[in-house]
Amino acid sequence: MTARVLTAILAVLFVVLAFDAGAAHAQGAVAPVDAKVGPAPDFDPPRSATTAGKTVSKRDSVASPAPGAPTNAAAKRTKGGMVFAFWGFAALTVLGSLFVITRRNLITAVMGMVGTFFALAALYMLLYAHFLAIIQMLVYAGAIMVLFVFVIMILNKPEDEPFALSGRVGKVLAGLATTYLVFRIGSVLIDVPSHVTIAQNAAPAKTAAGDDWGSTAAVGMNLFNDYLFPFEAVSLTLLIAVVGAIAIARPLKDDEPAAEAATTGGH
Amino acid sequence: MPNLSTVFSDVGYAHFLVLGAVLFAIGVGGVLLRRNALIIMMSIELMLNAGNLTILTFARMHGDLGGHSFAMIVMAVAAAEVAVGLAIVVAIFRGRRHVDVDRMNLLKH
Repeated sequence: MTARVLTAILAVLFVVLAFDAGAAHAQGAVAPVDAKVGPAPDFDPPRSATTAGKTVSKRDSVASPAPGAPTNAAAKRTKGGMVFAFWGFAALTVLGSLFVITRRNLITAVMGMVGTFFALAALYMLLYAHFLAIIQMLVYAGAIMVLFVFVIMILNKPEDEPFALSGRVGKVLAGLATTYLVFRIGSVLIDVPSHVTIAQNAAPAKTAAGDDWGSTAAVGMNLFNDYLFPFEAVSLTLLIAVVGAIAIARPLKDDEPAAEAATTGGH
Repeated sequence: MPNLSTVFSDVGYAHFLVLGAVLFAIGVGGVLLRRNALIIMMSIELMLNAGNLTILTFARMHGDLGGHSFAMIVMAVAAAEVAVGLAIVVAIFRGRRHVDVDRMNLLKH
């Protein structure tokens, strides 16, 4: 019962946030126009980085925004929406992932996972990774989650005791270890320059080919020019994985003799 | 250290990175705490997504589109991992009628 209420709350929150993010994005579309008219925007990736694929450090340009850039005025208007969208989707992401690891019902866990993936796609949108956001929805929420749901339907066995550590001491230890992990990673990452906020950043500069940063065309040019070999390698990996999955999951002969006979005895 | 009064109103790259770290930690917790193989695989997916979020944040920070290509390759590898992993889970379930990782100790004895 509580799981249903939580799921409903998550769904309502997600819809509200999606509308708000859409509104913020519509307002934010004004900002790049201003940036073109005035001097250089805060965040200007040089073209060599996107064309040559070199990992040149832009930390200095991030850490020192140009004072008085005209994007600030336009960005101030969108700041509230962007900040609200970030915190909302971040909360959705964390809540959904906590749902995954705490629920006893597997289908409920998968639904929490779907919420997490959708919220992550929205966060990718906030990072101007539009193509990756759509791919995230298609691949994860569309394909991988369906695969999980199918397997859960096949197995469909309730768990007797879902958690591994039975004693209270073990749980406390695991919680402490995880908290320590969060603290260590967080204490490293909090030093990353954060005074250049996402809301103050207008859209990044276009690539050398004139495409929007993070769009399908830009990512495609990068993928097929600079990262062609990894792309081909990963396609081969996928092919091998599919063949391997079929080979592993295929029923053995002594498992189901009737089915084998029905398929091979026909000709 | 960032100013504590503006930590909620000024959302920067650090926020995305810390969110990625929290997601990764939750994934680690799921792998450590749960016994069901399917939940463990979902937690692994969570960790891969946390890594992707971090990669995309760094790509935005440095203005390098290579991070987007890399994140896409990570997604493809995650899909391959899920396909093979779920096949293994189904194969184990066919023989043993459970997917409890604590009871899969054949190599121990």
